[in-house]
Amino acid sequence: MLRFSIDIGGTFTDVVAETEAGLSSVKVLTTSYAPDQGALDGMDRLLSKLGKSYADISAVIHGTTLATNALIERRGAKTAFVTTAGFRDVLDMRYEKRFAQYDLDIEMPTSLVARPLRLGLEERILADGSVLKAPQDEEIDALAAHIKAKKVEAVAIGFLHAYRNPAHEIYVANRLRQTLGEDVTICQSADVACEIREYERFSTVCANAYVRPLMQRYLGALKAELNRLGFDGSFLMMLSGGGLTTLEQAMRFPIRLVESGPAGGVALAAHVAHEVGSKCTLSLDIGGTTAKICFIREGNPQTTRRFEVARAWRDVKGSGLPVRVPTVELVEIGAGGGSIAAVDTLGRLKIGPHSAGSDPGPAAYGRGGTAATITDAHLSVGNIAAEGFAGGMISLAPDKAPAAISKHVQTQMGLADVETAAAGIIEIADETMANAARVHGVELGLDITAFDLLVTGGGGALHAARIAEKLGISRIIVPQNAGVGSAVGFLRSPVAFESAISVMEPLHTIDATALTHRVSEQVAHVRAIVEEAVPADRVTTTAKIEMRYQGQGLDIVLEYPADDGFKIDVARIEAEFIKRYKSLVGFTLKDIPLDLVSVSVTARETRKLDRHAFTPAAKADASQERQVFDLAAQSQITYQVRERTDLAPQVMQGPTVITEDQTTTLVRPGWSVQTSGEGHLILERGAA
Amino acid sequence: MTDTLDIVARNVLWNRLISVCEEQANALMRAAFGAIVREAGDLSAGVFDANGVMLAQAVTGTPGHVNTMAASVRAMLERVPAETLKPGDALVTNDPWLGAGHVFDFVVVTPAFLNGQIIGYLASTSHIVDIGGRGWSAEGASVYEEGVTFPVLHLRRGTELNEDLLAIVTANSRVPHEARGDILSLLSCNDTGVARLLNLMGEYALPDLVAIADFIFESSASGTKQALARAPEGIYVSMMQLDGYDAPITLKARMTIADGTIAVDLSGSSPAVARGINCPLNYSAAYASFGIRALLTPDIPNNHASLSAITITADPGLVVSAERPSPVSARHVIGQALPDLMLGCLEQALPGDVLAESAGALWTLSLSGAGKTPFSSLNVALGGMGARPGTDGLSTTAFPSGVGSVPVEAAEVAAPVIYHAKEFIRDSGGAGRHRGGLGQRIEIGSRIGEDMFMSAAAFERLTSGPEGRQGGLRGANGKVAISDGTQVTDKGMYKIPAGERVILQTPGGGGFGDPAKRDRDTLQQDVSDGLVSNDAARKLYKGNQ
Repeated sequence: MLRFSIDIGGTFTDVVAETEAGLSSVKVLTTSYAPDQGALDGMDRLLSKLGKSYADISAVIHGTTLATNALIERRGAKTAFVTTAGFRDVLDMRYEKRFAQYDLDIEMPTSLVARPLRLGLEERILADGSVLKAPQDEEIDALAAHIKAKKVEAVAIGFLHAYRNPAHEIYVANRLRQTLGEDVTICQSADVACEIREYERFSTVCANAYVRPLMQRYLGALKAELNRLGFDGSFLMMLSGGGLTTLEQAMRFPIRLVESGPAGGVALAAHVAHEVGSKCTLSLDIGGTTAKICFIREGNPQTTRRFEVARAWRDVKGSGLPVRVPTVELVEIGAGGGSIAAVDTLGRLKIGPHSAGSDPGPAAYGRGGTAATITDAHLSVGNIAAEGFAGGMISLAPDKAPAAISKHVQTQMGLADVETAAAGIIEIADETMANAARVHGVELGLDITAFDLLVTGGGGALHAARIAEKLGISRIIVPQNAGVGSAVGFLRSPVAFESAISVMEPLHTIDATALTHRVSEQVAHVRAIVEEAVPADRVTTTAKIEMRYQGQGLDIVLEYPADDGFKIDVARIEAEFIKRYKSLVGFTLKDIPLDLVSVSVTARETRKLDRHAFTPAAKADASQERQVFDLAAQSQITYQVRERTDLAPQVMQGPTVITEDQTTTLVRPGWSVQTSGEGHLILERGAA
Repeated sequence: MTDTLDIVARNVLWNRLISVCEEQANALMRAAFGAIVREAGDLSAGVFDANGVMLAQAVTGTPGHVNTMAASVRAMLERVPAETLKPGDALVTNDPWLGAGHVFDFVVVTPAFLNGQIIGYLASTSHIVDIGGRGWSAEGASVYEEGVTFPVLHLRRGTELNEDLLAIVTANSRVPHEARGDILSLLSCNDTGVARLLNLMGEYALPDLVAIADFIFESSASGTKQALARAPEGIYVSMMQLDGYDAPITLKARMTIADGTIAVDLSGSSPAVARGINCPLNYSAAYASFGIRALLTPDIPNNHASLSAITITADPGLVVSAERPSPVSARHVIGQALPDLMLGCLEQALPGDVLAESAGALWTLSLSGAGKTPFSSLNVALGGMGARPGTDGLSTTAFPSGVGSVPVEAAEVAAPVIYHAKEFIRDSGGAGRHRGGLGQRIEIGSRIGEDMFMSAAAFERLTSGPEGRQGGLRGANGKVAISDGTQVTDKGMYKIPAGERVILQTPGGGGFGDPAKRDRDTLQQDVSDGLVSNDAARKLYKGNQ
């Protein structure tokens, strides 16, 4: 077996090879002018190290932020939008409300399609799917000629109520195709996001059309080059929703790739959780500028179909372009290693959202950064050591950290010493992250104390213990290979595809037989897509039914296996909805009908678990010690220091610091640590 | 704990308190009925100390609720003394003069007990879809016609729900079950808030909220004072004329800035009128102070100390200080005009720093069946925001309200109406170096070929558009007509005959700065995008088109 995964991010490209012997990886700089070059360079290096050739590769799994970056930098195709006459400004009107109540300066994102290329067509379908006005060929042909004259590369079609009846979109697409030929991309809203609410659906189809020519060119070229080099295995793409799909599907719906990197990280977390037998897992990835949280239950990450890309205003929620595609549900917090700590006009200590990034970076990098960052705080209290930071890749100027904290935080707040200020910064950062998890958990109706905390990213293991204490969590998992987590996650992801049907009808008037039939058709459709890459006996299908009380905004999702015996069972659905509603809200409502909002179906490759046995070090080496300032104790505490690679299999008690190239694990007093059979660190609280 | 640790811990606690309110507000928003409430976030939630003084509030709240609720809790406790409250009790009212200005808004207050003592209160407000009377219109001649008013009553005693009260709600509302559900969600979101608050206090071993309250009030008071100092001391007077129900209304403000406080007197505004666009003083104060705070203290969280630096007064019985039994259903028509009036005063204090006037009050778009098929459809039609000192105004975006529109597809699923168009109006944004936001044209007809009624209660600025500043021109005024030729000229009820359409044109925002100084590339872009006509570019902007 030889499988490769490639994760092309904005700065780095990670390439990972997996053989029976295990994983090997390489990190190269992303070659943004020709992203495939960096990837192929990385593959070359690993192949020569393994003594293998492209012909030996059985599968390549790829994820990329290319589509996302094209949206952020507005580098996509020249796109036209054909819509119902009278509604071309829906794209600019958005929700018609301000996403920040007290900020008078906010800006909305500019739409992907310029107003002169937003073209109204006389046609109309009504809310019940009936036709008020059919589109006329003459007008379509005139539009086609206009689009052709404007040298447009992509056309998005979005008509009102197309989620209910896509006939006009299909008809117009076919008719435009006759004039525009195969060179122009044409996308239909009901195809990309078959859901009610015109702005979100139109925004999604425009984003898909906008990035499709670019992604088709790029992916086509990469595949051709791999084939030229001798590769003839399967080529799969990582989706935002956490599954893999075929190249053909990815090229058709490139908008479904936007969050593939983070989805890979979550996939790894889900896999590790499964390995160590964690049923309820809170994954927390702390990087340089942000922290990301995702809830994983029974190995399945929480997913959503509400997502926004390319935020236009200070990364504020609501300022981006909405896309309605399946996405792992990540809560992002503006707190990472480079996040800047400052004291506001009210004397409050605030972390982020501004970040020093990697350039100039934290004050301690000595590259001209003067702001006090979370990394500076860790260095000042002794959580991390200047020697060996980031595997020796970055040399630190340790004196600059306390100086920055003293200037920007300690004196501003009138604190007695710099250690307290530094510990205060970390405490506020921990609090911010814990609180985001707490709030999100409540939204999902989860008891967070029953969860294990799984941390990745450079900062995850530094903050984990304190965050767990704040959340009442008593077990922490620090996986191996967290540094190239997303790419490893691709290798651990199942092939999967999801598709949704908007229903929006009262449960009791639904024609259950007809809907069962529609769902079954949809199940067959997604199953066929997954079976392109996976044998039929390893594909399972599920249906998620979204329900609400009529008129209410609280959607509750009920999940059922969608096998041959699947049918819409109204009584059972109602009973389960009532039960879930009561546990979330505390009471149920009399006499209010239930609406069935939508049904989304997923086909998924059954998870297989290849255990990779881990051999611990034969014996522990001599322990070193380090002084770490503790906020609660208001004094230095002595921590033992161990290299992760030298850990013995026995349980060790905190306070202990475990170091490795990409991160540091802080085992606070009251916690113990042990290496699992797979090589992951397991921290437990209160275990003697 | 040492003092230094206290500072960090208090910071954490303050954030956690705000977060308690956010959780409470989220719980409420998810459980709310009626598209307009849910989409809009027409609600608020807050934590109060043992004296009923506001400590923290959810940032999601809409200004009209946010600032009124600060006073509601104490007013309610004056009527039902704290000593009489038991664990589990919850109070409710929809009295416009105690709550948020009209009978649709219900306030629920729940005491939080720790060791047998009340240590604080959780309160929340939201808009209930229908509470009887005439429903949503300005046609009532008194508040008695506008729906059922509940004085301050127990919604729950201990574990016992006040089913009598709920029975009165369901007997009077056109949407009885939703109204009941909405009131219960206020109760349950407060319960969520109480549980979170007690958890938090347990975690930090707090016996009460006294110390954290002092910290929040001291920090907020000094921060507010510092921020207000940006505006030069003095007395500033501003006036504004609105269309009114059927005769013009004058709004007048006299703002005194001194000693780090702002006092505004609205006396001199027109007397209360006979129809329901009057505004109780609590709601006027809420929006007036929002306008001031959004400009001068946007970063300071809402609480007693940050709000009390700004006081709003008026002689009784004016449109801005209507008294019982004046009708007040569409009180936002006046209330939401007040931020622009405040900004008019502040423009004199800080010339060049203040955005131009905006379309103002939300145009509530209330349609109902006048034929065989009963229905009612509620949406909003939004105009342009005023141009800002640094940039153009936002097109078709609510300001000062935080409410957004219901999507066309959702509106058409909910009621038998057809939206035939919803598009920007060219040249509606006031010309200026920075252009005002554009208004929009909306055309609606019946889907079932039946007559419809429309309330014109909130269609304001039909005679003159929002003013520009610093040489910027006025935005376009609004227009409403029916395709049979009827012009909407007052705020009454209109009939849209079967087969006809209503055509709404919302106002555009005012411009900022001399139009001749508009960046030429930006002007050219507006022309090629069809947002500004060649004619306007030549005449108003002195362009070369």
